[in-house]
Amino acid sequence: MNFRLIVLWLVVGIPLLWGVSKTLQNALKLFT
Amino acid sequence: MPASFLDRESTVAPAGYNRFLVPPAALAVHLAIGQAYAFSTFNLPLTKLLGITHADPADWKLTDVGWTFSIAIAILGLSAAVFGHWVERVGPRKSMFTAALCFGGGFIVSAVGMHFHQLWVLYLGYGVLGGCGLGIGYISPVSTLIKWFPDRPGMATGMAIMGFGGGALIAAPLSLLLMEHFKSPISTGVLETFVTMGVIYFMYMMIGVIAVRVPAADWKPAGWVPSAKAQRLVTSANVAVDLAWRTRQFWLLWGVLCMNVTAGIGVLGQASPMIQEIFSGRVTPAAAAGFVGLLSLFNMGGRFFWATTSDYLGRRNTYMVFFLLGILLYSTVPSLGHLGYIELFVAAFAVILSMYGGGFATIPAYLRDMFGTMNVGAIHGRLLTAWSVAGVLGPVLVNYIRQFQIDHGVAKAQAYSITMYIMCGLLFVGFLCNLAMRPVDERYHYRAPKPAK
Repeated sequence: MNFRLIVLWLVVGIPLLWGVSKTLQNALKLFT
Repeated sequence: MPASFLDRESTVAPAGYNRFLVPPAALAVHLAIGQAYAFSTFNLPLTKLLGITHADPADWKLTDVGWTFSIAIAILGLSAAVFGHWVERVGPRKSMFTAALCFGGGFIVSAVGMHFHQLWVLYLGYGVLGGCGLGIGYISPVSTLIKWFPDRPGMATGMAIMGFGGGALIAAPLSLLLMEHFKSPISTGVLETFVTMGVIYFMYMMIGVIAVRVPAADWKPAGWVPSAKAQRLVTSANVAVDLAWRTRQFWLLWGVLCMNVTAGIGVLGQASPMIQEIFSGRVTPAAAAGFVGLLSLFNMGGRFFWATTSDYLGRRNTYMVFFLLGILLYSTVPSLGHLGYIELFVAAFAVILSMYGGGFATIPAYLRDMFGTMNVGAIHGRLLTAWSVAGVLGPVLVNYIRQFQIDHGVAKAQAYSITMYIMCGLLFVGFLCNLAMRPVDERYHYRAPKPAK
């Protein structure tokens, strides 16, 4: 695998996953 | 004169370049500008700039601050329409760089406006300058991605435009974290947060500026052969931007986008009070915030899912699903509310919002199918004026009709029913526009000028 490809996808993927996890934590309050 | 780093010539990819390096470049820009959807996190702190812990009589009013977002979205559509041709001409790197300057600069100018407590500077900074960054940044990578992925144009543009939906998921918690960090007895922390976010977003968008590449003119994916079987609504010709907007197809697509966005955007803006009023006593404000988050998640996921699906289903059929399923869901939502089926109510809106996002993400590929790749970015820019109109129409419909009904004695829990049926009507108009779609007449097709003898 291309090193540059992995780094670029991590740069966009990590913040996105952080945002998704924070949103899911909030969304769970709807059903608890 | 040698080409500068920002020129299109400097971005042409060498042979063997991995095309999957391009979507993250586009995502870096879209994840940044998607912050716009989370602007409401600043609304209350902006009304306490002088009072800090409370709103001072001299502080800005919430309704005045609210205009900042509306101006930014209106300028988004206008700048995409005005600068679309320029973006197409100069290429993705220079346009992404301009977008980064405008968007990052918009935050800094807004911070200056807060420092001097001048509301018009906030409008100028985030609304006008930032709005230009939104519009230019939104369309910058679209035609580049379509050229890199002629075999999967829906998936490629869906990936980038998904970033615009995802940007809010990052920006909302990031803004809260930063404001909490900078908060002090003499500051709400919002001014410092704007400066920090301006710098962060500029640098983040620069990753896209540096990484983006355009394919060589004769490049094709390895082993890919364009389908020999002619598809009725997929052209192999090109239409120039100045002719495209004079065609019937452009305005039908304008109607398709406008109706699809209007039906979703009003609900998105009112989701929190709506669920609390319909399920009065059962949904707390915290749970309602969770509902808004869930809708944002489906708005983001729908962009990738539906745009990718459209590569297999066809663009027109995908919009048919949006409109027909949308009508079905909107017409059942009032009953689900009255019967108290909260899980089904949430699920219905999650699907509706996925189709709202899907509508945004599938439209560039639909334009490519109708008008070819030559000026697709510029045509997309002009089509985004439909978003500006929908951005006003959707919230006005939802808010004013609700208020009108409450003023006439309708209970709050029932005040949304008529709005939902009006949304069905709007979706039906979109359905008719989509149904009327035919190939663009050959007289509009681009013909390269014959070389002089």
